[in-house]
Amino acid sequence: MTLEAREKWGDALTYLTAILIAAFFLTPLAWLLSLSLRTRQEVFLGASRFIPKRPTLDNFAQILSDPTFLLYLWNGLKLSALGGLGCLLVAAPAAYAFSRFWFSGKSALMMTILAFQMISPLVILVPLYRYMSALGLLNSHFGVTMVYIAVSVPMCTWLVKSAIDNIPKSLEEAAAIDGCSRFGTFWRITLPLAAPGLASAFILIVILNWSQFLIPFLLLNKDAQLPISVAIFNFSGTSNASTTQVLAAACLVAVVPAIVAFLLLQRMIVGALTAGAVKG
Amino acid sequence: MMRLRLVTALLASAAALVAVTAHADNLVTKDRVGPADAPKSFTLRLTNDGPTSTDPVWAEGYQKLFSDFIQRHPGWRIDLERMSDNIGQEQARMLEQAKSGNGPDCAAVDSFVLALFKGANVLKPLDEYFTKEEVADLFPFIRDGITGPDGKIYAWWWNTDLRVLYRNKEIVPDAPKDWAGLKAAALASKEKGGEGVLFNGGRWEGTTFDWLANFWAQGGKLVDDKGKPIFAEGENREKFLKAVNYFKDLVDSGAAPKRVATIVNYDEFNAAAAAGTAALFIGGNWQYGQLKNTLEPEEFAKWTFSEIPGPTAGERSTGTGGWTFGAFSNDPEKVAMCAAVIKEIYAGPGNALQQQLPTAAALYGKYDIFKTPANETFAKALVNGQARPGVPIYPEISNQIQIMMGDVLSGTKTPEAALDAANTAVQAAFARL
Amino acid sequence: MPTTTAAAIGAAQRRVAGPSLARRLEANPFTWLVPVAVMLGVFYLYPILDVFRLGLTNASLVGNDERYTLVTLRAMFENPALLDILKTTFVFTFASVIGQQVLGLAIALIVMRGERRKLKGMVALRTLVLIAWVIPGIANGLIWQMLFSEAPFGAINSVLRMIHIPPVAWLSDPNIAMLSAVISNVWRGTAFSMIVFYAALKAIDPTLYEAASVDGASGSQKLRFITLPQLRAAILVNSILVTIQTLNTFDAIISLTGGGPGRATEVLSLFTFNTVFRNYDLAGGSVLSVLMLVISLVLALGYASLLPRREASE
Repeated sequence: MTLEAREKWGDALTYLTAILIAAFFLTPLAWLLSLSLRTRQEVFLGASRFIPKRPTLDNFAQILSDPTFLLYLWNGLKLSALGGLGCLLVAAPAAYAFSRFWFSGKSALMMTILAFQMISPLVILVPLYRYMSALGLLNSHFGVTMVYIAVSVPMCTWLVKSAIDNIPKSLEEAAAIDGCSRFGTFWRITLPLAAPGLASAFILIVILNWSQFLIPFLLLNKDAQLPISVAIFNFSGTSNASTTQVLAAACLVAVVPAIVAFLLLQRMIVGALTAGAVKG
Repeated sequence: MMRLRLVTALLASAAALVAVTAHADNLVTKDRVGPADAPKSFTLRLTNDGPTSTDPVWAEGYQKLFSDFIQRHPGWRIDLERMSDNIGQEQARMLEQAKSGNGPDCAAVDSFVLALFKGANVLKPLDEYFTKEEVADLFPFIRDGITGPDGKIYAWWWNTDLRVLYRNKEIVPDAPKDWAGLKAAALASKEKGGEGVLFNGGRWEGTTFDWLANFWAQGGKLVDDKGKPIFAEGENREKFLKAVNYFKDLVDSGAAPKRVATIVNYDEFNAAAAAGTAALFIGGNWQYGQLKNTLEPEEFAKWTFSEIPGPTAGERSTGTGGWTFGAFSNDPEKVAMCAAVIKEIYAGPGNALQQQLPTAAALYGKYDIFKTPANETFAKALVNGQARPGVPIYPEISNQIQIMMGDVLSGTKTPEAALDAANTAVQAAFARL
Repeated sequence: MPTTTAAAIGAAQRRVAGPSLARRLEANPFTWLVPVAVMLGVFYLYPILDVFRLGLTNASLVGNDERYTLVTLRAMFENPALLDILKTTFVFTFASVIGQQVLGLAIALIVMRGERRKLKGMVALRTLVLIAWVIPGIANGLIWQMLFSEAPFGAINSVLRMIHIPPVAWLSDPNIAMLSAVISNVWRGTAFSMIVFYAALKAIDPTLYEAASVDGASGSQKLRFITLPQLRAAILVNSILVTIQTLNTFDAIISLTGGGPGRATEVLSLFTFNTVFRNYDLAGGSVLSVLMLVISLVLALGYASLLPRREASE
């Protein structure tokens, strides 16, 4: 009985803490939503109009009726997705090697690859700029995609490796006995079996790419090429603060795709993250 | 299944996007002016002052100007590039591109970094496209700015701006004449529920620029004739400290709110005016038009402006800036087109469209829009105008003044200590130039 | 029929002749590593070498003659501001590492307890925390700037005003500005720590807790003697990754405070960015980049040496 009572108290405490934490995490987004639904006059009323008296969708209409804004979203999606895809292509063979081969220096190599993850793109920013300029890769989505791939490849390798680790070797061995080449086995057996792991790695990388700021900021000049993460920064400079409500709407438009993708695929992503984390 | 649905949704939205971007095939598009298949073309990099402006009136006006322009120059196409509003970064990036030969053919160059571009020898002379009279008609500080050491002109400075003190006449009926007057007026406005006087005080160029008026008004100099920083020496030091202490006193006495140290945008002032929380602020001449668009007419009628007060009524100054155009192309034909863009679109029509002050005295009489009382007042105030020194060390001086302002206004450092720190940093940077 | 026989014989002959080049290549693990090596080499290694080289020059975005010199190196290290920047960086990073992990662990524990007791809303809580994590850094800074705005109509301050508490100088007071920056960083970064802790907590053998319960251990004793020691590896992994992540953060700060007031929130990464893009000082920026690199690596190695041997060698 006392134990049960203690557990009940514990439940109450758990709920209380959970509510406080939820409030901390929800408030900024709720405020953003509140601002984005207000008219200009209501913005200046601060928190007393948390729920706008005359909610309006005009701010969203203004953002979404601007064709460039849709273009920014499209660019963001395109760069993130291509980056994610390229990353898988580059990382998968390496992940396979780390999972299936035994060779000396393997763990050192894996740590080395992980060490790249620790280098900020900022460190390589300036030489990269000159370098890309010399290669003629400035102002091209191809160049940006390449750098996205390079930046996310270490993490991707680790994620895919842990996905391949979970596939029983017996299937591959059977294929090898049937005369299938090692690459053939990898392509036709291993990768399809690792599809769920690959998919979650892909989604995770795409979401991270969606937030990339520095690389596109530096390597792209043309307005029509910018992804939303850079466009929103530029937009915050151009809008005047008397249009805070429009900036709020723009921010929401920029974050909602990532949130929606995340919500739809959350089980997969959390799975990939925890798998990586336990291994890491 | 879920994934399939997501992919379908993504494809659908992608298709919608393509549809949106594909239509509107007229002469002026987001990234081009003229027919896509024109035999000759040049790249033009613009700021917000162009067909892609975020201001719908400007965008429409420039679309018309550019459309007319390209019809007068058949066979040409202009490929538009758009700079973001992070001017410092954008200009640095452009300089780096120009040096490696990847710059645009023609571009907007901020007057305040023009000296860096001139020093890097990336600009093409424009003398043959402008007459002697046109050059002579420019305001002196403008002419000096665009002229290289060899006497040639390397850019065309087409608009200028200045800073003034805005006030709500209902709360502050009379224009403050000097520093003490502004402080008194700000304190008085607080009693009517306002925040006091607002000005830029955060980490950005505007902070330095607006504050310098108080230093210049006393005759202070940032650099000597050779470009060496001397703001912390001799009488400049005293003047500098006096101007810093003036701002510090405004905040310490409550005449200005502490939050000025976070203001990094002129638009904060528009917002405060719209919200009715501020009756006084130091802003740019362009904000008069913005206030008109932002405020209700009866509210706007309450607002007016006057020259930035100096230490005494007789000492006045204001910072002037503005934009130039420069040509980077090695192709003389493209340089000529760049000059044509300047003459036919920007110098004159562009000024009138954006109500931005022309750089030549003759243009004030040419357009009705510059004959309004407001613009006449601005033009008169330009007499006390002072451009930032066009020397390579200026960006670092400005950076250090911004840091100093934050440290002083937040009470982290005394003005003396902050000035010494700024000077040490500037001298170290200067030694390496 | 004859063709298949011929093919079979051909295959057999090939097998006798020894593995083909393709087979030999695919049997070598390093073949499989070529794509990764090329990507990292071209886009990481080469630029990094170039950063070291540029640090020994006087390269600038505005001068033309580039030559080798040690002046830049000396100037950057003699810069009296560097010490302040490093202190700021340390405070920001340390506070974020602690803040994110304490909060992350708390949330993970609550979710675990909630799941054990079958309480409602635990998935929602976890999701909510994770949502903050997918928000781009720039948007994060902009959102918090709206919340911390000190204008009379700013979010938090107008709430304080309503309940008659004097407004707080969220961004204009140097110390509070740092706190604000940390809060916004913790808001966005906690999710990662939470996930790592959540996974690690799931991996703890439940019999440990059962045994402790039998011995009459209290909740706090269980936390101290079972949970925390079992989480040691997770805490270290978190510390490494959060430290690196925070050291590299500048997009959220640039849109929140721009580094101000003064230099109160100018961390090393932002300082590096400003050196290159505001002062046009390529060489100086490169020296700072190398410094960032060294700090990251030293910290990562330092933490890694604390990892239990067994896991490090795995």
